[in-house]
Amino acid sequence: MDWDAFLRFLRGPLFDVALVVFVAGLAYRIVRVVALGWRRDRAPAMGSRAGGIVTSYAKGIGIWPFIPWVKDSFRGNAVTFLAGGLFHLGLFVVIFLGTAHMLVWKRLLGFGWPTLSLPVVDFLAAGAIASMIALLVNRFTQPVMRKLTGAPEMANWVFVFLPMLTGYMMTHHMFFRYEVLFSLHMLAVNVLLIWIPFSRIPHFAFYFFSRTIHGSQFGKRAVTP
Amino acid sequence: MSATTMDAKAAMDTFVRETGGWIASQLEACTRCGICASACHFYQSTGNPDFAPVWKVELLRRAYEQRFSPIGRILTALGVRKRITDEDLLAWSRVVYEACTVCNKCALVCPMGIQLGPLIHDVRTGLAAAGAVPDDLMAAVNKQVEEGSPLGVTDDVFEERIEWVSDEWDVEIPVDREGADTLVVFSSFEIMKFPENIADIARILNAAGESWTLSTKGREVVNFGFYEGSAEHTTLFIDRVLDGANELGVKRVMVTECGHAYDALRWTAPNLVEMPDGLEITHIVAVLDELVKAGRITLKTGAAEDDGGVTFHDACKIQRRGGHIEEPRRLLKILAPESFREMTPNREAAICCGGGGGVIAIKSADPQRYAAFGLKLDQMRAAEADTVVMACSNCRLQFLDGVQHFGSDVKVRGLSEMVAAALDGTPASDGQSE
Repeated sequence: MDWDAFLRFLRGPLFDVALVVFVAGLAYRIVRVVALGWRRDRAPAMGSRAGGIVTSYAKGIGIWPFIPWVKDSFRGNAVTFLAGGLFHLGLFVVIFLGTAHMLVWKRLLGFGWPTLSLPVVDFLAAGAIASMIALLVNRFTQPVMRKLTGAPEMANWVFVFLPMLTGYMMTHHMFFRYEVLFSLHMLAVNVLLIWIPFSRIPHFAFYFFSRTIHGSQFGKRAVTP
Repeated sequence: MSATTMDAKAAMDTFVRETGGWIASQLEACTRCGICASACHFYQSTGNPDFAPVWKVELLRRAYEQRFSPIGRILTALGVRKRITDEDLLAWSRVVYEACTVCNKCALVCPMGIQLGPLIHDVRTGLAAAGAVPDDLMAAVNKQVEEGSPLGVTDDVFEERIEWVSDEWDVEIPVDREGADTLVVFSSFEIMKFPENIADIARILNAAGESWTLSTKGREVVNFGFYEGSAEHTTLFIDRVLDGANELGVKRVMVTECGHAYDALRWTAPNLVEMPDGLEITHIVAVLDELVKAGRITLKTGAAEDDGGVTFHDACKIQRRGGHIEEPRRLLKILAPESFREMTPNREAAICCGGGGGVIAIKSADPQRYAAFGLKLDQMRAAEADTVVMACSNCRLQFLDGVQHFGSDVKVRGLSEMVAAALDGTPASDGQSE
């Protein structure tokens, strides 16, 4: 098999198609929700909606990811909080602060930025992979999680796990030739990009909706969000 | 309620009609991480995964995916996704009515900040349209539609009760007084079960020189339509109160010790009906605090020091969803400066009593209702409280029933009753429930 030609196809035309599906699909998802219409809340506010929204984001971004144990709900959900946090941290660092990925962004956007050294990125990538395994185990041992797990959840897990696994193998030249590993990684990435608009993964976009609603709801009632 | 009389299509149509960007964006944000389960007193006290808030909104999410996403439509048409069945309605009726007080504590622990309480209310709306409301609750709703009150407070009963309270506690209670500033609306819980609340609130308002009145038309503030989740019934009951307010030309409506009614009238009514111009909706705890601050009533400092360790129970609809968090604390720090102590967690993060949202009206919900109250009992024990105070009659019913069920000797008191007992220079009621 001509792995070089395959890789060129995966990095070239298929990657472009995957990107278009990803961006267009995501845009469609967001537009669809926004277009459903929003009723104005006519109840007079008691507190400040804006203040509530600011607090909501400050807590969401400042407390959840860094000091989750201040929350009562941390007890009994330690795996979800810690593995979930480590997974997202690893994911963001690898995608935005890994040198190889920054170069992809540079090709797409036309500009680049400083990145972290490989050992740091590599460590966090390994952490993210280990976290995903921990989350999978948690999914099958916690009664609530078991109830919520179906085919779409498993597909999400597999499609997110494969790019991370192949990327890690690629950096460490494990088992196969570099072209083969690179091809597998690009294949997994393309599949993920195409899958995202059809999955529940776009929560990263809707986070900004729900967090704003949360702040506004608690703020108008003069309650700390 | 039985599977034969239910209409799954009506539930589906209601879900679709109710789903706007507000609901859709939050359903889309949910990652199904399951953390919300740890906030729910029903899940915590029973370990039943069906009681996880995320599972309670699952029906709404399913409807959303099947109707609004192209993939969902295709998969449903192909039969890969199961349509909502009558059995589903029965199963969800058991969790959203019998194991949820719509207290919205789950929203506080959700990493995405999703308002699970209101979403569960929307699930109820669909179930109400489909005829899947538990029989006990539906009977109470129907009674309120027909007689004006779920506890049978008809015009005659209302008149008799108010006259009796007025005589018994020797206090003046104005009824249908045109041009009064404040319309006071009691819940039928208070009228039938805590009549001393009426006497005490009357005494406080009279002592403050407030211009106030009751209304025969708007005599019942409890809104069982809001428990049911039916917009039609909620509106009907709200309109009765507003008609009373309009008729007498009052400036504000003061909801007494009732949580759900306050939520319905304060936050929901403006989005359902045209509110009379400039009409303010307020709650008794805010008014009590305001009267003390303005010096219109003075309270004996330490009047409740004989009650042992005093703690305050935050009601979901008055504190977490009503914002009246500091007012009762300011009052209790006057009444029991030495012995007041907090339960943990408290304020907006407080654990719900377990009886709100209509749960206490549904007999088959008793096992989880008592289980959830166990958490409350643990909290009170940990705080070494001898007396627990609250500003919600629904919570108070649950507390009275709960302490009896568990054989606890904690004293359960209403805030207005304690304030009235501490009024300088006025004899108070003896604080005994009927």
